[in-house]
Amino acid sequence: MNDKLYGIMAEFDSPAAVLRAAKAVRDAGYRRWDVFSPFPVHGMDKVMGLGNSLVGWVSLLLGAGAFMSVVGLIWYANAFDYPLIVGGKPMFSEPMTFVPSYIMLIMGGAVGSLVGMLAFNQLPRLNHPLLSTPRFELASRDKFVLVIGVKDEKFCLTQTRQLLEKIGGNAVTIVEDED
Amino acid sequence: MSHSHHHHSATPRLDLSGWGFLPSFLMTAGGLLSVLGLLVSWKHGVLFEFGCSWLLAFMFFYSLAIGALFLVMIHHLSGAAWSLGPRRFCEHIASLLGWPLVLMFIPVGLFGHQIYQWMNLDPATNNLVAAKAPVFTIPGFWITSGIFFALLWFLSSRLSSLSIEQDQTGAPSCTRKMNFHSGWGIVALSLLLTFSSVLWMKAVQYQFFSCIYGVYFFSDCAWIALATVYVVSVILYRQGALSRVLHEHCFQNIALLLFGFTLFSAYTEFAQYFVVWNANMPEETFWYLIREHGNWWTLGLVLIFGHFFVPFFVLLPLKIKTNFKVIVPVCILVAFMHALDLAFNIFPAHRPEGYHLRWVWLPVGVFMFMGGFLANVFLMRFHSHAAYPQRDPRLLEAMGMNPNSINDLAPNTLANTHS
Repeated sequence: MNDKLYGIMAEFDSPAAVLRAAKAVRDAGYRRWDVFSPFPVHGMDKVMGLGNSLVGWVSLLLGAGAFMSVVGLIWYANAFDYPLIVGGKPMFSEPMTFVPSYIMLIMGGAVGSLVGMLAFNQLPRLNHPLLSTPRFELASRDKFVLVIGVKDEKFCLTQTRQLLEKIGGNAVTIVEDED
Repeated sequence: MSHSHHHHSATPRLDLSGWGFLPSFLMTAGGLLSVLGLLVSWKHGVLFEFGCSWLLAFMFFYSLAIGALFLVMIHHLSGAAWSLGPRRFCEHIASLLGWPLVLMFIPVGLFGHQIYQWMNLDPATNNLVAAKAPVFTIPGFWITSGIFFALLWFLSSRLSSLSIEQDQTGAPSCTRKMNFHSGWGIVALSLLLTFSSVLWMKAVQYQFFSCIYGVYFFSDCAWIALATVYVVSVILYRQGALSRVLHEHCFQNIALLLFGFTLFSAYTEFAQYFVVWNANMPEETFWYLIREHGNWWTLGLVLIFGHFFVPFFVLLPLKIKTNFKVIVPVCILVAFMHALDLAFNIFPAHRPEGYHLRWVWLPVGVFMFMGGFLANVFLMRFHSHAAYPQRDPRLLEAMGMNPNSINDLAPNTLANTHS
């Protein structure tokens, strides 16, 4: 396969049309393809077979880590390294640790969501091959764009192009990879 | 869909498939148990057992009705379409705040001397009672309670009757009026539920102070109401009565709110505990000290896990929220835990040494009686009106008729699995 290629892009005029197209692409056995639309299209996630994002696990990991590290810090500082009686309370007790730990749990969860989202989206990056295709920016206006990647096992320059044209795609364009 | 729907007509009777006798059975059996409980507790000189059991059941169903009223108001204020389906039966539950719950409240007042210690104290010798003088007198108690019920009755009946009126007229003015009453109503509701929970429940231990008590009670009202809404929605969805206006995302949203209030409820309960723990003042700590003795300690642990950890972790995954087989048992757990939480607030004042488990049949009996009675009133109202608002401006959107999803090719998985 040509290394200079990213994929083939086709435009559709309505959410229904792109949903039908996505169904056809899925049924044709393609796996590495994506849809770009100006707004969420109901049912697209089911057609594309998108699962749940893994970002939640990163949030959980960082949140739980932050929580436990603050509990550890309070225990280390207040009960182990320099035991200090404050307000007649025990050196270490659960209610005392809860508020700061809870706040750091939120902090860890938020940072985990941000970092996880960026990592799974492979961001930040300076450029993307699709951005060099002038008509691609219509995907944030009134067009619905479907792209089949060159990395797909079934990708074939002629057959994939024919499929996209057959299912009603307009302005079928070859997207080049500049890297 | 087996049921046909006609505009302006009452809902077809629910097919309760053999369960239809249950409310009346519960009412009869529970009524007998309650009378027996009254006699036995009177004979043993522990009439507070009957009074507190009655108060417990009353607060449970009162909190459910308050939570349902809150959900109706939030629906109007947010202008959401998805919550249109459960709205009508929420209005019926909220309408229980009229004569049915007033009737159920009367024994609380009549047995006030057994439930509320302050009623037996002389304000001249007790500063804490004297400081609350106009309210903490017998006439003050009845008048204040009367004001609470009058306002709640007005609010719930306005929101319900305007909604039913719109079924006939389709007038947009009904929607505007419901929005208006929800606007001032939600402020009034927050004050009313705070004052009423303090007067009826916290005053069982009149010496206790807690600024967050109303918020804590509110979070549990919304919690039990959401759990009830989920279960009733599942039943009505399967019966076909609401299948046109309930979709997968409705159950998703209800369970999401239930999850949110699981967290919020734990937050408020912990906040109360933490402030008392941190301030460490005898005027407040006594309340928790009592609850660290006897089987109250065990109940406290049961609540920490059953009221928070179990529902929190079960409800956490995204996809589980539309799985009826998992969420309906969680909702039943929620109802059970809410009842235990109310008991944790009410009973220890009279039983500081721990709850005497041989009396447990008494609150169960009162719950059966009150639940059966209120269920009968609810079913009567449900059957005499349409199952969901027939001519609400948001109806088409609630039915899923918008240009974006008319063309939705994806199969509705919920409809396929449960039709």
